[in-house]
Amino acid sequence: MKSGYKFAVTLSMLSLLALVMLHSGQTVSAAAEGKITGTVKLEGTPPHQRPIDMSKDPVCVKAHEGNPAHTETVVVGSGGGLANVVIYLSEGLPPAVASQVPSQPVTYDQKGCMYTPHVAAVDVDQHMKITNSDPTTHNIHPLPQPGSGNIGWNKSQPPGAPPIDAVWKTQEVSINVKCNIHPWMHGYMAVVKGPYAVSDDSGSFTVENVPPGSYTVTAWQETYGTQTQKVTVAAGKPGTASFTFKAK
Amino acid sequence: MRKQSWKWSLFLGAAVFFALSAASWSQVTEEQEKQEMGMQSHIGKLMGHASAGEPLYRRFCVGCHGPIGDGEGENAQWIDPKPRNFTLGVYKCRSTPTGTLPLDDDLFNTITRGIVHSNMPRWQPLPDQNRADLIAYVKHFSPRFVKEKPGAPIQIPPEPEVTPERIKAGQAVFKRVECWKCHGVEGRANGPSAETLTDDQNRPIKPFNFHDTTRFKCGSTDQDLYKIFMTGLDGTPMPSFADNLKPEEAWDLVFYLRTLQPMETKAKEIAKKLGLKPVNPNEPATQTESK
Amino acid sequence: MACFSRSRLVGMLLLFLLFGALKPATAIPAFARKYGLPCSACHEAWPKLNVFGQTFKDNGFQLMNDRDSPIWQNPAYWPITLRVTPNWHRELVNKVLVDTGAGPNTGVINLVAHGFDLSGLDILTAGTLYNNISFLLVPSADNTGAFHFESAWARFDNILKSPWLNIKGGKFEFDNVISEKRILNLSGNGGLYQLYHFVPPNDSNAFGQMGDNQIGLEWMGHSVNDRTRISAALVSSNDGEVNLPARNAYSGFITGSQAFDTGKFGTQRVGAYAFFGSAPTFSLTSDGVPIPGGGIGNKSFNREGAFALIYLKKVDFSLFFQHGSDDKYFGTSTPANAALPPGARSPSWNGGFIETHYTVNPQLVFVQRDEFVRMSQQALPGTPSSFGNIDAYTFSFRYYPFMFSRAGFAFHPEYSLVRQQGTSPIGTSLTSSSVFMGFDFDF
Repeated sequence: MKSGYKFAVTLSMLSLLALVMLHSGQTVSAAAEGKITGTVKLEGTPPHQRPIDMSKDPVCVKAHEGNPAHTETVVVGSGGGLANVVIYLSEGLPPAVASQVPSQPVTYDQKGCMYTPHVAAVDVDQHMKITNSDPTTHNIHPLPQPGSGNIGWNKSQPPGAPPIDAVWKTQEVSINVKCNIHPWMHGYMAVVKGPYAVSDDSGSFTVENVPPGSYTVTAWQETYGTQTQKVTVAAGKPGTASFTFKAK
Repeated sequence: MRKQSWKWSLFLGAAVFFALSAASWSQVTEEQEKQEMGMQSHIGKLMGHASAGEPLYRRFCVGCHGPIGDGEGENAQWIDPKPRNFTLGVYKCRSTPTGTLPLDDDLFNTITRGIVHSNMPRWQPLPDQNRADLIAYVKHFSPRFVKEKPGAPIQIPPEPEVTPERIKAGQAVFKRVECWKCHGVEGRANGPSAETLTDDQNRPIKPFNFHDTTRFKCGSTDQDLYKIFMTGLDGTPMPSFADNLKPEEAWDLVFYLRTLQPMETKAKEIAKKLGLKPVNPNEPATQTESK
Repeated sequence: MACFSRSRLVGMLLLFLLFGALKPATAIPAFARKYGLPCSACHEAWPKLNVFGQTFKDNGFQLMNDRDSPIWQNPAYWPITLRVTPNWHRELVNKVLVDTGAGPNTGVINLVAHGFDLSGLDILTAGTLYNNISFLLVPSADNTGAFHFESAWARFDNILKSPWLNIKGGKFEFDNVISEKRILNLSGNGGLYQLYHFVPPNDSNAFGQMGDNQIGLEWMGHSVNDRTRISAALVSSNDGEVNLPARNAYSGFITGSQAFDTGKFGTQRVGAYAFFGSAPTFSLTSDGVPIPGGGIGNKSFNREGAFALIYLKKVDFSLFFQHGSDDKYFGTSTPANAALPPGARSPSWNGGFIETHYTVNPQLVFVQRDEFVRMSQQALPGTPSSFGNIDAYTFSFRYYPFMFSRAGFAFHPEYSLVRQQGTSPIGTSLTSSSVFMGFDFDF
């Protein structure tokens, strides 16, 4: 009799534990606050970034008085760090985590007749807040690939206009953004699922809120394309990934 | 007989296998085909069917728009502007907001009216039913029409009376939202950004020349003009100004734009009487202009 | 005194058949090149026009898209089209007078001739000279290479911006919606509408031919969607000949029609026409040769009737009816300065045809036509009432291996038969039939 009782208790406790574990697997709980850190470097000499002639719009020229803006196809910081690289988890994300959408919108500004940030990463269904900080009219014209599932649009944004809200429906790395009025303006919106990061000027990045697990991490740069790495994240032990792109 | 039976069963098995796989393959594409060829159009009381539109498309449209509707017909290489690529589901002339599908009425009106200053003929002589069927077939080229509903058409308030105040207000709008950047201060399509404009396929494209042209590609009435800048011409550099103009301001802009055109209109007459000069982009905005 | 003996008539018929049919004129790839449209856009099965093509033509060969003026064309574009149809054909005339050993015209034979042959050549140049000024020029050769101008006109289109005001001047085809120039038949006996040329046997009216191109002026008006069409033409009664053989005689041609859209069946059209005028009954001569401008003794003639185009999806019917009559001087071949035979009357007749098309697709069309002419009054009292009656049948199809925007080609087999009562050399009915197989080139 006593052994039977013990058995019953053990069984129910085990089931309870299993339930808890199962349940905890469905939500991003404190246990999932892992991260992936790393750096992206460029090996070799980056292509020369040309100064941009903004004379078609004197307002843009004024914004860069004495210090013209340059093209941003490859932005390399000190120590060879490659900026504007999108890092995301292309494989291994549990569906529940993949469909999590941060409530904070990603900001995308037009300043000095350039897109800031040059490359923005955003989740599927996450809102973007597009603003115009310039005293000149821009038009925001995202151009998703035909058939990707994302639909492009074209809206004007004069100075002082309210922010534009944008949402993307499917993963796409990346959506080209252009301004027809200022043809030198190029930007990207990388639409991904799950946690993401964009490398800064020194090439370093931190992907937050990564639950423990094994993942394929993809790094995307607009000129050099993608690279992947397998990374394992454990509780209390962040994963690391470093990427090196070769200049052609 | 028994010895050969295994050969027969092998053959039969293979046959069954191929039959099944063929059936399942054709079932998938047949299902898709059915869904897309079942495309319908509704314009008022008219109902068009893609299946009836197919022979009409082969007769009338295939030369420019191509057999798969991608705008790569045999004549496409010789004409400018290029024929529309229906597979993208992106259309210029709509009553619906930017990034959304046009209404069936929009497509019907476009092929009925034709597109001026282009090779797209005015198909109005064809009976209404033919045009409705053609629209259904045109829609079937893009999966967007299967998955998405057209956008909600924009509301166009009734056209007010043209007054000098409205024309001056319209000019202020023209200056504030900086139409002149592409269209030029006299609407001659010679604004600072005009030369570098490219469409969604990166082909060079020119802005509308108000000074020399009477009809727009998307119509010729005041309501058509209202829709053009309040929905944007998708696929081109022309954006939607719906977020930046109140309906009253939009009408003011319509009247001002008419003063730039060559036809004699009430708006042009009033502008002449006012002695209205083109906007000066270098002049700072006055109190009444900035919003 | 009969100007046209039976044998002469037959001889002419034979010559006519052997030298190929009337060359139908207009199917114009130059338009396809100019606008980037395939032939099938304007033609149900070229050269027959559909509703879009008829509107294009009525607009003055313009799409009305502000790109019609020739300045919009690449300077290398030249609006020229060539059409010719090499063929094999067989002609049969059942009663032909021939010379035999017994003497001239003592034999009557059934003459059959067949072989490879050429049709005439049409060089068409058409389009716009400027916005709303259109033209058509067709130097045309018969199959011996002898040239004449089949058409040569200019038209002011949409005068005062109205589609109701279009004025054409020059040598042109009457505004027949069922156009003989765009007929779908090519054989000697099938490539024409009998009623567009019919005059009773022994009738001297060479001018009353609504199928021939005439020289004059035409006003034409149509509704914007081309469903209503009306026109009135004033021409000289020269039957399109130059140097004014009819001196001072004129004819008029008026026609109008209304079309109705009937949903999925198609567009139906009904209309009526009248062709009336006067023409000389003889010519002044010098040294026995008729002098230019010498036609005198004008007498009148008229043809009137109705027509319909009925569409039932892929099958359509062209229906035509005519009542015609010539003055008794014409009917009896009497010059106006001579006495009429006793009992002379104005010959009159009724006739019609039904032409059926089955347009499987723009690249295959089947054609069948039945045409009848019945004399209702003979010119001379002794003449049998059925003298001159015609029964004509045609069967053909056209297969177009390709349909695009640069050139056209059709494989064209045809069988046609015409029987006229009482006009054979021995007074019986004269039957002629054609078997035709042609390669119709159009560039």
